Amino acid sequence: MTAAAAASTAADRRRRWLDQVFDEPASVRAVAIVRIVLGPSVIWHLRPFLADALNGVTYLDVFQQKWWPWVPNAPAGLYVALLWTGVAAAVLMTVGLWSRPATWVTLAVVAYNFFLSETHFRHNRAFLIILLAGVALCDNGRVLSLDARRRPPPDDRALLWPVWLLRFEAASIYFASGFSKLIDPDWVGGRVLHDRTLRYQDDARDALGDTLGGPVLEVLGARAFHWVLSPVAVATELFIALGIWFRRTRLAAVWVAVAFHIGIEVSAQVEVFSVIAIGALAIWVTPSTRDRELITPRRWVRWLDWTARFDITVVAGASWRMVDRDGTVLEGRQARRFVMTRLPATFLFSQFWRYQ
Amino acid sequence: MAAAIVVVQLGLVANGYRDPHNYFAFQPFNESSTYAVALVRVLPDGERVAVPDGRWEGYDWDELIGWRALQGPWRQRHAFSGVDAVVDYLDHALDWMADNTPDDTTTLYLEATVTYYRNARGPYATVIRSPDRELGGP
Repeated sequence: MTAAAAASTAADRRRRWLDQVFDEPASVRAVAIVRIVLGPSVIWHLRPFLADALNGVTYLDVFQQKWWPWVPNAPAGLYVALLWTGVAAAVLMTVGLWSRPATWVTLAVVAYNFFLSETHFRHNRAFLIILLAGVALCDNGRVLSLDARRRPPPDDRALLWPVWLLRFEAASIYFASGFSKLIDPDWVGGRVLHDRTLRYQDDARDALGDTLGGPVLEVLGARAFHWVLSPVAVATELFIALGIWFRRTRLAAVWVAVAFHIGIEVSAQVEVFSVIAIGALAIWVTPSTRDRELITPRRWVRWLDWTARFDITVVAGASWRMVDRDGTVLEGRQARRFVMTRLPATFLFSQFWRYQ
Repeated sequence: MAAAIVVVQLGLVANGYRDPHNYFAFQPFNESSTYAVALVRVLPDGERVAVPDGRWEGYDWDELIGWRALQGPWRQRHAFSGVDAVVDYLDHALDWMADNTPDDTTTLYLEATVTYYRNARGPYATVIRSPDRELGGP
């Protein structure tokens, strides 16, 4: 191939990709899943602010460091009403009633509360706002919603450019976190994690008990352990950030991401971060639905196929048979194993590396 | 719009290496640093009155702060988002305290000595203070 032909092919590929991102509608089912996850997360996020309000304390009664002087301070009564409005909108968002307006209202409340004071800043809250904005930009009520039940749309497709933005944001978060630690000798050299472990070892001993806590802390408290753990943690974040973009490594990156977030949730207090980050992994699902044919004797497959990967026919007594997008046919155990890799509830325990 | 969002996000990530708070730059768990605060009230005649438990003239630091990351700083605490972020928050908090404690008619300004360990190295110390308050009585 000549240089000119190669350049032309690359340009064609780029044009096709841009068309796909900005002009071609595709399934918004994954976005709807994120919408459903975000509702309870928003309520959990607003809970401490509401608890304070019920005790008569709002942001006006405590130290406030304004992001910008032009952000207006709502009087206490209005502020509390706004918080409850956010809760109501989050409920509507999750059940999918007036899905899109409800998502915008939820975003407005969460963002307003966030930008009232720099003391409201947390990384997980910033990510929550980004996710809400991305979901609000999508026509997210076309599926998995009461809206779709009341007025069924012709299909579940809409423009997906906000999903590409969300993908960029999500990958940026893993990359920014990993890269900042990679270039920090204290972090990548284990000093930060080792020091934190030593500081919280009494809490760990209380949680684990003396019998288990002793040996576990002996390992966790060793400096050498953190020479290994810290670079592994950094590599994990960078692998997720980069690996999630490529078809060959995406399933592995998602698997590592889920394990990584479970690990963080167990070892640190990160508010809603673990839940929204795991929920947001749905945005990496290929945005086409029911494009693999599946014959199965098991009814539960239909209930667990949240991302609608399969066009399912349940036949009592039949053996498993799956026809993939490219026409590949898998039968019996192979088909069942493949299905396990594409159902969110069984993915973590599946042999995903066999079926990229 | 999509391109603008990408550029802004990249800018915020880069800004995180300059901004002590690394807002929207996503650098969680960046330090294991700790800090402690010795707070004093400085009176108009220059007398320095220690505020060891954060209570003075009917006010309570922890109540006024209302944020766990800066409460109880009289004992060594983890520095939320790193030492530089905490010192910046404390600096603003002193200013806010000075403006929002009208029943205190004797304090000219508040001063905090922040002693910290950055990733277990130290101790280091830095001193921050509020602006002078206008004392005229209620």
